[in-house]
This record gives sequence, structure tokens and C-alpha cells, in this order.
Amino acid sequence: MLVLLRERQTIPLLFIMPVALIFFLSLALQGVYMDKLTGRQMLLIIENESHQPTANLLEQRISANKMIQRVRRPSGFDNDKIFETGRAHAAIFIPKGFDEGLKPVEMEFDPVLDAGYKAAVRMLVTGLTVEVVMGIDNIEGLSADFIVEKTKKDRTLPGPLQNSVPGWSIFAMFFIAIPMSIGFLREKNDGTLQRIFTYPVSPVIVILGKLVPYYLINLMQFALMLIVGIYIMPLIIEFPFTLGAHPWHLIPVTLVVAAASTGFGVMVAALARAPEQSSALAATGAVLMAVFGGIMVPYAVMPLVMKKLALISPMYWAHQAYLDIFSRETDFFSLWPKLTVLMLFALLCFYIAGRRVKWM
Amino acid sequence: MKALEISHVTFSYTPKEDTAKNVGVEYALRDFSMSVESGQMHALLGPNGAGKTTLMRLITGQLRGFQGGISIDGIKNDHSKSLTSVGYAPQPISVYASLTAMENLRVFGVMAGLSHERLQERAKAVLEETGLLPYAQKRASTYSGGMLRRLNLAVALLHSPRLLLLDEPTVGVDPQSRNHIYETLKKMNADGIAIILCTHIMDEAQRMCSSVTMLDRGSVIFSGNMNEIDNLEKFFLERTGHGLRDDD
Repeated sequence: MLVLLRERQTIPLLFIMPVALIFFLSLALQGVYMDKLTGRQMLLIIENESHQPTANLLEQRISANKMIQRVRRPSGFDNDKIFETGRAHAAIFIPKGFDEGLKPVEMEFDPVLDAGYKAAVRMLVTGLTVEVVMGIDNIEGLSADFIVEKTKKDRTLPGPLQNSVPGWSIFAMFFIAIPMSIGFLREKNDGTLQRIFTYPVSPVIVILGKLVPYYLINLMQFALMLIVGIYIMPLIIEFPFTLGAHPWHLIPVTLVVAAASTGFGVMVAALARAPEQSSALAATGAVLMAVFGGIMVPYAVMPLVMKKLALISPMYWAHQAYLDIFSRETDFFSLWPKLTVLMLFALLCFYIAGRRVKWM
Repeated sequence: MKALEISHVTFSYTPKEDTAKNVGVEYALRDFSMSVESGQMHALLGPNGAGKTTLMRLITGQLRGFQGGISIDGIKNDHSKSLTSVGYAPQPISVYASLTAMENLRVFGVMAGLSHERLQERAKAVLEETGLLPYAQKRASTYSGGMLRRLNLAVALLHSPRLLLLDEPTVGVDPQSRNHIYETLKKMNADGIAIILCTHIMDEAQRMCSSVTMLDRGSVIFSGNMNEIDNLEKFFLERTGHGLRDDD
């Protein structure tokens, strides 16, 4: 533990890195998690060439909608230039002949606009057009008789923190493989590990003495990320972070995730021959597991092939277990398959390390 | 009383299943025997790859699965109690560079099972013996080569062993540090500690040791008193040949 505490560069990094990742990526991903209809105002150019009553009413309704902030077209700017300079997200053109049903409303979007926002604007304009053309006052009120969205009582929409706090915490926990494998290899190469084995102390105790500090660091990492998620991040971004209905489920899940990441570190130490090799192996392994496991790209937006590949990443199982607690609020039995996979991964890593390395 | 008794030890790094088939077995030690009396300083000499390090690792319990017997102070070395009688200073400087000398001694003292009070007392004593007491709170990474060698020796002396195994204890150190190490070893020896000195510096071995065992290719090629030998280096080369040994 004393040797570990002297690692004044590496160990603080294991805490700073996930905090920075949670902070910046939650900020960056705010838009992805925002309600596309109510979360953000769209900058819209509305041009009415018709000036007939229905066209005027449509122009008025679109302009009055809370989701829309109407902007004027600067002189000499075509749509391409407007989008390029970021002055508007979309342009709506109501042509002559709209009232007579001869020509449709034309919409053009900034090509790089998020597909979710595009769909939301399209839906809004379609709804308002139907309202004015069919003479309906409130189409949403009418459709409420047929469609109702149900959510759990007092349940807020999941925000970026619900995904990024556990995600980047897991990522940082697996990154412990770097200092851990380097430390093991350094001790093995400089002979201190062999020297320890010349004393009348059980090899199991020696190995546990090496592993437990890293395991404890993993637990501390997760606790710190929780504190950051609960108390600090909601002050900076508008989404809250909630622990879900069964916060005590965090205890077994975190203990098992820490065992899996510690196992990964031991395996890397056993497979690598030099500290340089072990850091490359650990970093590449952790990044690949994060890519496949839905940490870097949310699992929900992955294509089917990537979703199947995600199953090979222990980070996927860990992340899903945390999402079960924070967002899905499932019962403890739903966590069992994920915990079992993580335990098997940990055991496999320790087995490979035990077979591969001659510690003495 | 014998501080160390090794009788008919045979050991191979070849996996057991291959050894049983007796196919391609290479022995690191073959029917090796030697003994060292309490208070004796004994030289263990051999060219590279002779089996010296293997022998040290067998004595200190790092390697298992050998045939024959090894006893330390009359206790078989498969018993953990025997290991408390052995102090080992390996050839690579095996201390934690990021820790101070005192912290290093604390780590290894705990491994040796010393109580807090005993550890404090012994740490101070061995730091004094090795001339490192003024630098006890400095990190080992700031030490010179000679200071590191002395710290390596201090760790081996910490738990008051009855048998001291030293693998090249003066390699790469300046004459002052080397002289200090020699003086420390003479003092230890005078206190009744048996010392096995494994070295390639023949002059050092001849001057310091009263008896010698030479081994080559895992077998004893000479064992006797040092005073029987006139010129150790010449004698060694006669016994082991002039050919290069690069297979260590």
C-alpha cells in the first residue's frame, strides 16, 4: 500500500480522469438526452409567399410555438450560407398556391442537424399544418383521447448523468490495470517480489496484500464518482442524477465490478513481459472494452451487430447492471445474470494469471 | 552445529511430467551436497550457469520440487520456521526504490514477522551497521550504487538470521562501500553467523572465506578448505576450463 501511495502521478489520475470524462461528456451529451420537443428552441426561418388566410394562420402558429425561435434571413444569404454560419437550423417556405392545395409547405434542414431534432420539427410542422388545413384547434388534445404516455410515478427522464456516471466510473476502474500491472512487473523484474517469497509468509497472503489496495482504490473511485454525480454535476448541467429505488444494490454490483477490474489487471500483469507492454495492453484492452461495452457510444444507439459484440465486453455487463439500478430500478434477481458474468470474467482472469505466471 | 546441510539435491526446471518420461531432462543441480558450519564464511563459486542461483533459490524456499534434503540449523527447509533463520541478499538490488531505507526495512520486517518494537530496534541497528543511518529517511531512488548494495544487505540482516546468503554482494560498488561491506560481514561472522558468499571476484572469496565449494553444470567439482588453495583464480580456471560461459 505504501508503494502504491508513492505513485503520485498515476493514482490521482485514476480519480481525475473519470471526473473529467463525466464532466465534459455529460455536458457534451446534454443535447442527446434532451427532450427534442421541449428541451431546446430551434432557430427557424419562416417565409410566407402565399399571404392567404390559411398560410398566414400557419405562419402565425409556427412562429408562436415555444419550440421555435423565428429568425430573419439576412440579405444575400441563401439557405446553404445560413446553415453554414449557424444562423438557423431549418427554413420553412409556404409557397403561393398553398391555400388552394396546389403546392405543399417546403422544409429544408441544416444537413448536420441531429436526426432527433429534425424529426421533432418535422412532426411539429406537420401537426400544425394538419391543424390549420383541417380546421382543428388542438390536435394534441384530440389525440390524447387515443394515446397516453405512461411513466412511473415521480420518475424523471433519464439524463446524460444516469449513463455517464456509471459508464466512466467503470472505465476508470478498469484502467487500474495500468498501475497494477506495471507495479507487479516492476516488483517481479527488480526481484522484490521474489525476495518477499523468501520469508515465511503464505504466497496467498502476499498476493492478497498486493491486490487488496488496488481493489480498495476501485471502490473509492466509484464512491467518488457517485459523489460527483449526485452533488456536483447537477449544479452544472440541468439534469439530475438519481440512485434509483434500490441504492443498496450498488454494494454487491460494485464489489463484483471491482473484482472483475482487479482480475483484468492481474491478467495483464501475467501476460505482459515488460511494464511498457503491460501499459499498452491494459490501455488498449480498456478502451476496446469501453467501445464495445456501450461506454463510449450509448448501447441504445448501437447497430445490431455492435449490440451483439457488446456481450463480449465485461464493461457492458457492468454498465447494464448499474443502469438496472439507476434507471430501470429492477429487482435484485435481474442483476444476477450480470453479476454472474462479471464473476466468471474475474475468475477466468485470475485463472489465466495463475497458469501463466511463475510468481516466485 | 551445521548452519546449512545440503544432501544429494537434484533439481530440474523441466516440467514434472517430462521428468517422469526422462525425455530431454536438463538438471540445474545433480546429486549436489555441501555443508556449512555455524560461524563459517563459505565461498560458493562457479561459472555462469553452474547452478549457484538455483541453489540459493532452493535454500530460500523459492523453488520446490527437488529431490534430496536441505536443512537450515537442523530444520528441513520445507518448514517455514527454517526460513526465519536465513537472510538473503540477491544479486539484483531487491528493494523498493520509491520507499525510504526505513520504510523498506519496515516492509521486509513485517514479512519476517518482527514485532513493532523489535523491528524499530533492529532497523536502527542494521542501518548503523551498514552506514545508512544518516540516510534512513531518504528514498532509495536517491541512493548511489554502493548505498543500494548496503541497503540490500541491511534487509538481509534485519531479522537476525543464523545463515546469510549473499549473491554478488559487492558487484558495481566503489572501494569504500566494498570495504564497508567486508567489514560488516567480518563482524557478522565473528558474531557466529554462517555466511555463504557467492561471487565471481576470486580475490574477495580467497580473502574472506575459510572454505569453498565449486560447482559446474549442477555438480560439485571441488569442496575443501581455502588454505589448501594457493591461487584461487588459477585453481578455478583449471577446474572449470577457459572456455566462455554465456548460457547463464
